[in-house]
Amino acid sequence: MSGKLKEVKTRIASVKSTQQITKAMKLVAASKLKKATDAIVQMRPYADKLGDMLGNIVSATEGEINLELANERPEINNVLIVVITSDKGLCGAFNTNVIKQAAAGVKAYDKQRQAGKLSIMPFGKKGMDFFKKYENVNLITDYVDIFKGLSFENAAESVERILEDYTAGTFDVVKVAYAEFRNPVVQNFQLRDFLPIARMEQPVSDTAAASKSKADYIFEPSKDVLLRELAPKILKTQFYSYLLDSNASEHGARMTAMESATENANELLRSLKLTYNRARQAAITTEITEIVSGAAALQGN
Amino acid sequence: MQLEILTPDEKVYEGEVSSVSLPGIDGGFQVLNNHAPVISALTEGVLRLVSTEGTREMNIKSGFVEVLNNRVVVLIEGADVK
Repeated sequence: MSGKLKEVKTRIASVKSTQQITKAMKLVAASKLKKATDAIVQMRPYADKLGDMLGNIVSATEGEINLELANERPEINNVLIVVITSDKGLCGAFNTNVIKQAAAGVKAYDKQRQAGKLSIMPFGKKGMDFFKKYENVNLITDYVDIFKGLSFENAAESVERILEDYTAGTFDVVKVAYAEFRNPVVQNFQLRDFLPIARMEQPVSDTAAASKSKADYIFEPSKDVLLRELAPKILKTQFYSYLLDSNASEHGARMTAMESATENANELLRSLKLTYNRARQAAITTEITEIVSGAAALQGN
Repeated sequence: MQLEILTPDEKVYEGEVSSVSLPGIDGGFQVLNNHAPVISALTEGVLRLVSTEGTREMNIKSGFVEVLNNRVVVLIEGADVK
């Protein structure tokens, strides 16, 4: 009987210590999430203003805007898929879902893959680990460790590399699989077109552009040059926002996963305690019965 | 006039200034009060601003500036405040 008691006791202790770990991980994820969302908020004014500026230039330009980065190539030979995952696990289905998006992209470009012209650029270790197993895929692992020190500078460097390769014709299409951050519990898993740039429509925010386009801007050196300078900057900002979003999503997902793990541990503890108490009560009852029957036997004498 | 300097990581400066010198892509230029609306590309170089608190300089990376109605917005990829 005491054997069972002891067994349950050690189980309770081990569940408790696991719960402590998941609780701590949840708190760590929560504080990291705070930092990650702060970074998103910090970047917003810059990104918004950049978009406004683009709107101002576009609305002041008459006729077709000719931008090389926006031109679709007639033949798609080489494809690059960027996969933004986390470095660590224990964040629910987060990485699985990102990888699912990327794998769908890989499937869509099966022809290029068979020709050995499909490349995958993982950001974050989990994506690399998964696509290492894929055959006929070129793995570009230069930026796997970007989340060790995520900054705009690092992100910009990787985008410069992608742009360089794209302009040189090493890639004809670039797609990005990432998790858009909605709120701590909701992520939106996406496979986005990165290059060529989606056709630039007339101003992003109509009202802002309408009121501003009245101002007669002087464009220096010229609208064409400005657009050519602006396009890579916007791409960098966009890519950086993908990285920040994925980072925040990861911490959100981990927080949720750890929260439910802690809750599950609570549930488990409750039922274990019940078992423990039952076993203890059974032991006591047996003991009393033994004593009582022992006393009765003595009285009988 | 109001000056705002933004990078993707932070807001570097916001406040009232009397003049800003900027490294334009085709050469440096200065923006004073009531400057005409302009959008210009900037290259790496030194930004110098004059406010009531004195003169400040910072090294900036490439970016853009927009001047409109005495509001100057500088968007750059990074800045080293001296």
